[in-house]
Formats: sequence, C-alpha cells, structure tokens
Amino acid sequence: MKSSSPVAYPSLAQRLFSVWYRHVRVYTKNLISNGLPPFLEPLLFLLGVGLGLGKYITQSMEGLSYLEFLGTGLLVTAAMFTSAYECTFGTFIRLEFEKVYDGMLAAPITVNDLIVGEIIWAGTKGLFFTFAVLCVLTAFRIIHLPAGLLAPLVGFVTGVMFATLSLWVTSFVKTINHFNFYLTGIISPMFFFSGVVFPISNLPPSVRFIAEIVPLTHCVRLARAVCIGQYPPSLLASLGYAVVFIALTGWLAIRRLRRRLVR
Amino acid sequence: MGQVGYAGGMKVIRVHNISKSFGKLCAVNDLSFEVEEGTCFGLLGPNGAGKTTMMKMVYGRSSRDNHDGGVIDVLGYDPARDELAIKYLSGVVPQENNLDDELNVIQNLMIYSKFYGLPGKVARERIEVLLGFLELSEKIESPIKELSGGMQRRLVIARALLNNPKLLILDEPTTGLDPQVRHLIWDKLRQLRAQGTTILLTTHYMEEAFQICDTVLIMDKGRKILEDSPQRLLRENIEAYVLEVPMTNGMRGWGESDLPSVVRLDRTDATLRLYAQDIDQLKAVADRLSGGQYYLRQTTLEDVFLKATGRALNEKQ
Repeated sequence: MKSSSPVAYPSLAQRLFSVWYRHVRVYTKNLISNGLPPFLEPLLFLLGVGLGLGKYITQSMEGLSYLEFLGTGLLVTAAMFTSAYECTFGTFIRLEFEKVYDGMLAAPITVNDLIVGEIIWAGTKGLFFTFAVLCVLTAFRIIHLPAGLLAPLVGFVTGVMFATLSLWVTSFVKTINHFNFYLTGIISPMFFFSGVVFPISNLPPSVRFIAEIVPLTHCVRLARAVCIGQYPPSLLASLGYAVVFIALTGWLAIRRLRRRLVR
Repeated sequence: MGQVGYAGGMKVIRVHNISKSFGKLCAVNDLSFEVEEGTCFGLLGPNGAGKTTMMKMVYGRSSRDNHDGGVIDVLGYDPARDELAIKYLSGVVPQENNLDDELNVIQNLMIYSKFYGLPGKVARERIEVLLGFLELSEKIESPIKELSGGMQRRLVIARALLNNPKLLILDEPTTGLDPQVRHLIWDKLRQLRAQGTTILLTTHYMEEAFQICDTVLIMDKGRKILEDSPQRLLRENIEAYVLEVPMTNGMRGWGESDLPSVVRLDRTDATLRLYAQDIDQLKAVADRLSGGQYYLRQTTLEDVFLKATGRALNEKQ
C-alpha cells in the first residue's frame, strides 16, 4: 500500500481517446439512421431553396453565385446544428437520464477528461457533417475538388466552438425543455443572420455588429475561404476569434459542469 | 503517505473525521472508520443517512469539506489528489445500472476496458472469465434491453471487475433484486473476498449486511451510530429474542408494570414488541395472551438497526 510505486493508469491521450471511442461506438451502432440524414439534409436544402428559390436570384453574393454562396455556408451550419444538439440534449440525457457519466466516472477518467472528450467528439461530428455536405456540393458540381478538402477541418473547429458554448449552456439547465430557448432563440437565428443565406453587408448597420459578434459568422468566413482558396489577412481575425471563443467558453463549461458532476 | 496498518493487517481505507455538507444539510458528520485488507465493510443506514455520499468521497466523485484533521486514505492515495490512481485500482458499482442500452454485453465491456487501457486481446480474455464468473456467458451477444434486472446488475459488477480491482465499491448491490439473484451476488462477493479483494458496500438490507459483511457501520443523519461485526452488534446491542404481538383492544392497556422486569417494551400503533434475553420469559408472556396472535423469534440486525436509528421516518424516506 505504498503510494511511492506509481500506478500505471492510462495517459491523458488514452483517457480522452477512450471517452471519444465510447461516443463513436454508440453513434455508429445505428449507422443508417445516424449516418444518412447528414447527407439527405443538405440535399433537400439545395433542391428546395438553392435550385428552387435560387433560380430567381441572379445577383452574385460576395462574388459567388447563389448556390455557391449558400452551399459554402451550409458546410458549417450542419456542423453547428449537430454539435449544438449533441452537447445540449445528448449531454443532458447522458447526465440526468441515462446516468452514463456515473458509470464513466467510476473508471479512471476525471471530469475534465470526460468533458474534453465530449468536446472532441462533438468536433468529430461537426467534421463528419461538413464532410457530408461537401460530398453533396461536389456531386452537384457546386464545389470542384480539391477546393474544399479543408472544409471538414473547419467543420471540426465549428463543432468544437458550438460544443463548448452548448456545454456551458447545459451546465445551467435543470429541465430538458429549457434547451428550446437556446436552440430557437440563439442557434436558429444564427443560421439566418450570419451570412449563410444572405451577406451580412445587407443587414442594417445598427444590427450588423451583432452578426460580427456571433460565432457562426466566423465559421462561415473560414469555410468560404477554404472553398474558394482565397485567404485575405482579415481571415486571421476569424481564426483568432475561434481560438479565443473555444478557450473562453470551454473554460466556463468545464468549470460549471465540474461543479455539477463532483459535488 | 503510504500507510501500513497496525495490528490485524493492512488498512485499505482510512477515513478520519470526515464531514460533507450540501449547503445547510450536513450529509456526513465527522465520520471515521477503517477497512482492513481482504474484508467486507458495510455502511448501513436508512435512505438519506449519507452512505452514498461517504462512498463517493472514497473514490473522488464527491469532495469532502475542507477542514483540518480530515483524512481519507485509499490504498495509500488521497482521492482529492490522486483520484485516477484510486479508480484504476478499484472497481465501482454505482447505485443505478448505467449500461449503454444501444450496445450489447460484450460491446459494453469492451468500451469500458478502454477506460483502463486494457489491450483488446487481454480485455477479451478477461471478459470471458468475468462473464463465466457471474454466470452470464450465454448472454455475451445479447442486447442490454433483453437482460433482466438481475443480469444487468451482474453485468455492472463484471464491468467493475475488469481491471482486477484490489478494492470493490458497491452502492446498494442487490436493491430491487429477487432472492435467487441476491444470493448469487452474495456468493460471488464472498468468493472475491476469499481471493483477497477488499469490499466496501452500502446497503439498507440488514440481511445483506449480516450475510457478507465482516464489519458493519450503522449510520444515521450522517453520523456513526454503531460499528462492529454483525454478530457482536446483535449480541451487545439487543436482547436475544423478541415477541411481537399485534395490537388488539385487550393489549392496549399493557404497560411496563404488567411485565417481568427483564422484558423491554417497544410500542408502535400496530404492534407491541417485547424483548428479552431469556426466551422462557417471553413464552410466559405469550401464554397470558390466551390464544391471541403472536410471533416469537430471534432478534436480527434489523431490530438493532431500528433501535439505533428509531422508527420515525426522515424526510428522504
């Protein structure tokens, strides 16, 4: 019973991997019902809005055709939605109903490992959802490879950003219905007012600054940049925003969820 | 840090003067106990007594109140600093079965083995042994949803044993299970203890404590009430026999003065309980009931428990 002999518990990387692996295995268990919609959704959206409505939009937007403009935006909104749902409803169910975390925290996993693993998993889902949109856009010849091959990476970053934000929100929530305020009040508006369906330069100057503050705007800029292969210096601001945003909301999320998990 | 126990073997768990408050509620109040290697130690108490909270502090899932003099030492580690070492060397069976319903038995265990860093081949062999041990071998490919409550419980125990723990921690291992499964689990726990595994469990079943625990700590409202071996608890804290008589009109008038002085009286609305060391004293009383209903039996740990913690319900019961 001497503590001088070190215990060979798994390293940080192994612990994070094992949390991530757990989520991958559970997600891929229902491969068809989980894996098909990410491809169908952008398809429906492009058919309905892009081709249907887009026919009437002849004006170019930020130098792109409407389908290019919308399509490159959809790359990251898919990542945003999946990550936001995963880290609100998904996390809350694991936390309160299924008690999955009680089981995981009985193994040599710390609360920090658990939360960071969760964030990496949400990033992975973002990557996969963006990849699915990329496949559809390529099939429709809206994007021509190899342009856009970096887009899934932007999807990962987007997934991580919305994971940290959503986990922070989740740390406050006592009843699952409260997520509706967040998803309808914050996530959905971002879809419409972050330069996905129309350029934010068309917003009235009095509200335009809001679009500059919210995270999705910066994800969209990064996604468009990698798709058209143009990297203006101003893009560094979006990249910096992403880094600071992840660090800040991630820190807040871990701090608050920790108090909820270790009482 | 490393603590070698004094007479009687190594102490796997040492808890000294530990308290835990949630706001104004004091869940654990200045509790101390030690668990010797290779023994089974039971925390016994009503719901809300602080058993689970105490148990969670042992493996770092709950943080103790910070004050001088409070010590928790598990296998030579302090859970506040070295929770990973403690969790790596221990197996935990939480109160609720939290298996992944989407997956089957082997997948659940394989995923969990990753948390311990077990290589795939080692994990697979270990899983086969454990499923055999807990009599679940035939269920290896079964979805969790098809398992009965008793099978799920055994699977959670198998999961806790994946890394060959030195210390097995179980929170109410058999609550809600039928007698067959309960006895099977008790047998398995006895076998593990015989192999040298130290066991810490919480329970509110007196029978369970009596059957498998070497030492029982009865707690109530966060405090220690009694601590001893189940046999000694019985011998030293309660009379050997009890006569239980349903309250009927004729009985209501009975008081201490109607009884031999060696008989202790405990009265509730529905039942009169008469305790005595000598069974003949109680038989004599029973004869005076002139054919009315009564039940004369040996006392159990449950009688000790009720005597120690009282019959009134607390707000969590």
